[in-house]
Amino acid sequence: MKSLAIATTNLRRFIRDRGNIFFVFIFPMLLILVFGTSFGGDFNARLAVIVESEGELARDLVTGLEGLDTVNVIAIETEAAAVRGVERGELEAAVIIPANYDSNITAGIPVDLQYLARSGQEGNSLRSNLESVVTQQAVILRAARFAESEGLATFAAALVTAGETAANIGLVTVEVTAVGEAFSLDLLGQFDSSAQTQLILFVFLTSLAGSAALIQTRRLGVAKRMIATPTSVGNVLLGEGLGRYLVALVQGLFIMLGTWLIFGVDWGDPILATVILLIFALVGSGAAMLMGAVFSNDEQAGGMGVLFGLGFAALGGCMVPLQVFELISPGLYKVAHITPHAWALEAFDSIVLNNGTFADIAVFLAILLGYALVLYTLAIWRLRVVLTR
Amino acid sequence: MRAAWTIAVKDLKQRLRDRSAIIVGIIAPLVLAAIFSFVFNPIEDFEFSATYVVVDQDGGPAARLFVDQVLGAMAADDTITVDELDTVEAARVLVDVEVDPFAEDVQSADAAFILPAGFSATVVSADPATIEVLAGRGSQTAAGVAVAVAEQFASQLQTARVAAATAEFYGLEGDRAEIGLRALGVPNLATVADAEATSKILNGTTFYAAGLAIFFLFFTVQFGVNGMLEERHAGTLPRLLAAPIPKFAIVAGKAITAAIMGVVSMSVLVVATSLMFGAEWGNPLGVLLLIFGGIFAAIGIMGIVGAFAKTAEQAQVYSSIIAVVLGFMGGTFFPVGQSGGLLAQLRFVTPHAWFMQGLGDLAGGNVADVFPAVFALVVFGVVCGTLAALGIRRGLAA
Repeated sequence: MKSLAIATTNLRRFIRDRGNIFFVFIFPMLLILVFGTSFGGDFNARLAVIVESEGELARDLVTGLEGLDTVNVIAIETEAAAVRGVERGELEAAVIIPANYDSNITAGIPVDLQYLARSGQEGNSLRSNLESVVTQQAVILRAARFAESEGLATFAAALVTAGETAANIGLVTVEVTAVGEAFSLDLLGQFDSSAQTQLILFVFLTSLAGSAALIQTRRLGVAKRMIATPTSVGNVLLGEGLGRYLVALVQGLFIMLGTWLIFGVDWGDPILATVILLIFALVGSGAAMLMGAVFSNDEQAGGMGVLFGLGFAALGGCMVPLQVFELISPGLYKVAHITPHAWALEAFDSIVLNNGTFADIAVFLAILLGYALVLYTLAIWRLRVVLTR
Repeated sequence: MRAAWTIAVKDLKQRLRDRSAIIVGIIAPLVLAAIFSFVFNPIEDFEFSATYVVVDQDGGPAARLFVDQVLGAMAADDTITVDELDTVEAARVLVDVEVDPFAEDVQSADAAFILPAGFSATVVSADPATIEVLAGRGSQTAAGVAVAVAEQFASQLQTARVAAATAEFYGLEGDRAEIGLRALGVPNLATVADAEATSKILNGTTFYAAGLAIFFLFFTVQFGVNGMLEERHAGTLPRLLAAPIPKFAIVAGKAITAAIMGVVSMSVLVVATSLMFGAEWGNPLGVLLLIFGGIFAAIGIMGIVGAFAKTAEQAQVYSSIIAVVLGFMGGTFFPVGQSGGLLAQLRFVTPHAWFMQGLGDLAGGNVADVFPAVFALVVFGVVCGTLAALGIRRGLAA
């Protein structure tokens, strides 16, 4: 009962702090909104098109490019803006359709399409798409030029004939069949991935930040006074631990419910999702207790909290999804699983993507409980020493 | 001025003894830069590669043209491999394989080209012909390239057919396929002329080093700026005010503290990240100008918080909110500008974005390219510094 009083006092102190309100409730939601809108959904390479010509062929070319599934065509006014965009990585490539495009081509005069890209694959694959559209457009023109070069007719006359001939010839087409399964990340909703990763990142980070309160409790002598009352050290520790735990849990539940209501995030089975959170919050509060025991200055603990909070999040797949690690670097994927973050994310993946049951995520939960156990054991051992000294 | 200096020296000694400034100013950004580089560089360096298979059920000249010439030329690029298979089933199985990075020797393909029987014969007629592509759903880019290649070849064949038919119309005699091939000697009227853009994008290691340095700079500077509120809290401010020194000296002392801490932290980070992780900050003069601009802006912005907050605790809360929000919006954690969207438009309201932009422009240009960014940073410093000074004057008068 006493420990519960200590815990609720902790929680109340925490919620009264306006900074906490921002970092715990507002900021994570903002991040999920931003990441979801910037990175959620398909990413297509951005090709800037500067159309200086008003002709029909120029328009056709643009329409052809716009028809490509994997290219995001962006109309840009000036060459300078396009160059700047490509240089700074705001665009993958740019192509200029010159003013004389239509007039030259219909007159049989070759035209250069200036194509600007940074070196690298994105530029190359956009280029193959551009080449493909240009070739498609040139069918009749080239046939006419051929007739002209063979001395069969003038270009203008041959152009008319080639057009009529082409209408009577069936097309050579490409029939595309999609095979296999989509990359698992592509199956998630727009906000799903960022909601999961930010939940894990923030529950841990906020817990660590909470260690400052524990240090204050120690420094101001509150802990010693509590022990001087007929309250066992165990009860005080339980209360402080429970306080950290409640903070982590309240934030986690807020993010889960909030993203579900606002962004329609799919958290899978709600009971299993809550179980993952209940256990991960235990890991976070355990880490906070350990930091509260090890550091003696709350500003130091604050700096280290940001360091560990962001560092583990980056390693554990909260900034770049584990699926990407898996695809790109098996070594990185293994390192990620040193962090509790990765195991929690695996558990969410299982219930969200594969309709995992409790049995499917039991291993992940057991590993997370292991982390919590180790962290709490170390923290309690250190705190007993520090508080009774 | 002597008084200001004395105050600054006292503050600096105090900060050095309490290790929190070293943690925030040096250790945290350095370790995070190491972790971020470790995690994100492999992703940035990830090279595109594609594996295609082709099934030629036709064996005729048009099909061989595609397999030997078109795909042969592609396979010359060592990031692309092309294998020829006998059956569509075998090809489909390979495209269907889920890519498992841990099983090195499992064969898979990103896409398969299928040239159906009778393809070459159909091509020389006027009947519609089809090339089939099995595109792997799991590898969008590679499959997209495969479709583009097939489309381009289809357009070439169409050109040959239309050209041959047009020539026939004018009475040219001979083998249709041969005439068609000859027609392909006529180049596209529109040719794609390549120009390589200078990259003004920081490489991964440099990006994280610079991003984290400017992000934590605001926290480091805040230690100095908040000194005023701490003096008030500790009851030493009235004593300072009673001392025979101008009020201005107290404020200047705090600003000098903040500036020195900023310069030290940034310099250590630039040198350490260059030596330890190989970050490429660029021309030292340009970097120096940007760092000074950044520190100036940071002191101005943090100064406003310090001037209007009532207690040191309140100042700390507000300044961390401001530092985190500006840092995030300004693209210190991920390249906001490159990702596009609303944030990319909004980012220039933060000094962080100007700092990062300046470094990027410096990487692809020369010292003069940082002037716009430095100017913007100085404007931030002047505007915010003036507001802060007004606020502090009001606070000291009260």
